Amino acid sequence: MNYFPDEVIEHVFDFIASHKDRNAVSLVCKSWYKIERISRRRVFIGNCYAISPERVIERFPELKSLTLKGKPHFADFNLVPHDWGGFVQPWIEALVKHRVGLEELRLKRMVISDESLERLSKAFVNFKTLVLVSCEGFTTDGLAAIAANCRFLRELDLQENEVEDHRGHWISCFPESCTSLVSLNFACLKGDINLTALERLVARSPNLTSLRLNRAVPLDTLQRILMRAPQLVDLGTGSFLHDPASGASSKLKATLLKCNSIRTLSGFLEVSPRCLTAIYPVCQNLNSLNLSYAPGIHGHDLIKLIQHCRKLERLWILDSIGDKGLGVVASTCKELQELRVFPSDPYGAGNATVTEEGLVAISAGCPKLHSLLYFCQQMTNAALITVAKNCSNFTRFRLCILDPIKPDPVTMQPLDEGFGAIVQSCKRLRRLSLSGLLTDQVFLYIGMYAEQLEMLSIAFAGNSDKGMLYVLNGCKKLRKLEIRDSPFGNTALLTDVGKYETMRSLWMSSCEITLVGCEILAKKMPMLNVEIINDEDDIAPSSEDILRVGKMYLYRTLVGSRKDAPWFVDIL
Amino acid sequence: MSSSHHISLKMGRGTSCSSSSIESSTEQQRKDLSTDLRLGLSISTSSQHHNTSFSREHQPSDWPPIKPLLRKALEAEENESNSATFFVKVYMEGIPIGRKLDLLAHDGYHDLITTLDHMFNTSILWSEMDGSYSDRNYHVLTYEDKEGDWMMVGDVPWEMFLSTVRRLKITRA
Repeated sequence: MNYFPDEVIEHVFDFIASHKDRNAVSLVCKSWYKIERISRRRVFIGNCYAISPERVIERFPELKSLTLKGKPHFADFNLVPHDWGGFVQPWIEALVKHRVGLEELRLKRMVISDESLERLSKAFVNFKTLVLVSCEGFTTDGLAAIAANCRFLRELDLQENEVEDHRGHWISCFPESCTSLVSLNFACLKGDINLTALERLVARSPNLTSLRLNRAVPLDTLQRILMRAPQLVDLGTGSFLHDPASGASSKLKATLLKCNSIRTLSGFLEVSPRCLTAIYPVCQNLNSLNLSYAPGIHGHDLIKLIQHCRKLERLWILDSIGDKGLGVVASTCKELQELRVFPSDPYGAGNATVTEEGLVAISAGCPKLHSLLYFCQQMTNAALITVAKNCSNFTRFRLCILDPIKPDPVTMQPLDEGFGAIVQSCKRLRRLSLSGLLTDQVFLYIGMYAEQLEMLSIAFAGNSDKGMLYVLNGCKKLRKLEIRDSPFGNTALLTDVGKYETMRSLWMSSCEITLVGCEILAKKMPMLNVEIINDEDDIAPSSEDILRVGKMYLYRTLVGSRKDAPWFVDIL
Repeated sequence: MSSSHHISLKMGRGTSCSSSSIESSTEQQRKDLSTDLRLGLSISTSSQHHNTSFSREHQPSDWPPIKPLLRKALEAEENESNSATFFVKVYMEGIPIGRKLDLLAHDGYHDLITTLDHMFNTSILWSEMDGSYSDRNYHVLTYEDKEGDWMMVGDVPWEMFLSTVRRLKITRA
């Protein structure tokens, strides 16, 4: 490949966007490695502790866009203590020190302070995009710094973060000269917002296509905002309540008739069902609808709404829709590709839930479905087998039965055969979460058939080490394995230690592994960080438990143990 | 489907660490578990000895696996709908002793009529029903509004009804 001058090869590489492809390209030969690294603009780091910021910057000096992920996935469910780690500060310091022309920063499950946000806003003149997903450690003061200092800000996207809210003045910090906003999402903020400042900001942002409001923005403000921004493509409403006598609803409906670009709709953080008729005009063109934060909409009104949404490709909803409601979805939404059904009453007695019936109806009615997250009351093998027959296109299949070890209620059998059918039929399956009563048999099936599987989540499943070994031996493309409350012990952990270097990470909590087993592993594999996370509340484990490990998180790394681990984490 | 949704996983671990002995002991525990399930406060091995059964006040924060923000939003909605009440008197024609009913415990008119049908063991006509019915077994539902007038239930939006209703009366059709 020395026929072409470097500039030509570099030009060809410009067309290669995916980081996986660029990684592959860089391995071909020294010359391609060199050209690729100089030309790479977007860098994705799946585990911030796998590499150091200095080495990333050294290899990719022209980097403009950085994506970092910190805590393990189970941190989303309160399984990882706060202060475990995932601090972005050293990265920002390194980027500043080496004068990187950073324009975009995307963080997931990381800790970012107000000081870091302020540093970010002042150090990088061309900073355009900040996306924070499931992050913590900052307040609205940090957001004020971003608003005030980033002159060319295009995207400020806050998804499901824990933000300490010092009450709304941050919106007023966008200077009058800031007219570049394309995307603004502050739905997760809990506090009040300066409504006038918000309206003025929208009025001077002609390129704004995505706007997601928080609960503090009332319906009449929404209506005025929509008058100013009929070009919106993605809308998240705030509060959707009004006095029926006020006429605000019909005013909104009239305004929405002019907003014919809206394709994505979410929000309804507070809602009175009568107001929903106002959004019917928008429904016929919707591709994506997220009602998972709207428990105020009940089954009846939900169904009426969905009947208007014939072009829906993505639907996130609460299980208050019921099996019958899912039947309506199946007959209305023929373009559906992704469905998520969340539990509306996580501990409840099963009033508002869905069962295997709803899922079967969806699988029969929606031929394009490939991504599923389904919280349900129960599931049967027969239903899973039918779903596998109807839909062999699944790339993501996540099932969660609210009672985590519930067998098939009809046959009282484990759900091994049902999940077996899924993995056998769905040859492109990349992500799988299991649920219900499950034996080692299901893992035998997964090891045998799930050839493309990259991420597997296991909870309360299996009988013995054989289960985990089937998976480790069989799934060649496995990158992330997370296990809780399952009887896998040291034999499973230690049989194939080389496997962990081919994966990003392994999480095991409340399993049968012991400290001794983890120590052996750490000794054999210096390229892995083996972290033992002790419960912050633990004073002294009882004598029985002294050998067993509560939570273990291991990941491959090029930079050895991290120096920022808190007192309750032991790195072996 | 048990209505008291207590799930407990006494996934009791044996003290031995060898996997072969675990296999048989977990099988036994599985059988126990399928009959009696109560989910402890935390299911990690270090707090096995907690084994506390939970009421609605002590729910595990790590199951089911939903994000904290969603969990809080759902709990807030539940508290709102549980704590507010609005009891009104309901009289049936010919019966001097009335009943009391919490209107806020209902989603809307359909829900309310269902409750009243059960409470008074009858079938109630209201403004949204169509078709003709024989007079024999049916009653009509009316309400007294803020102005003291008696109106047919069902004509105005539910929220507006809630803001104006003072009491209910069921009369023969």
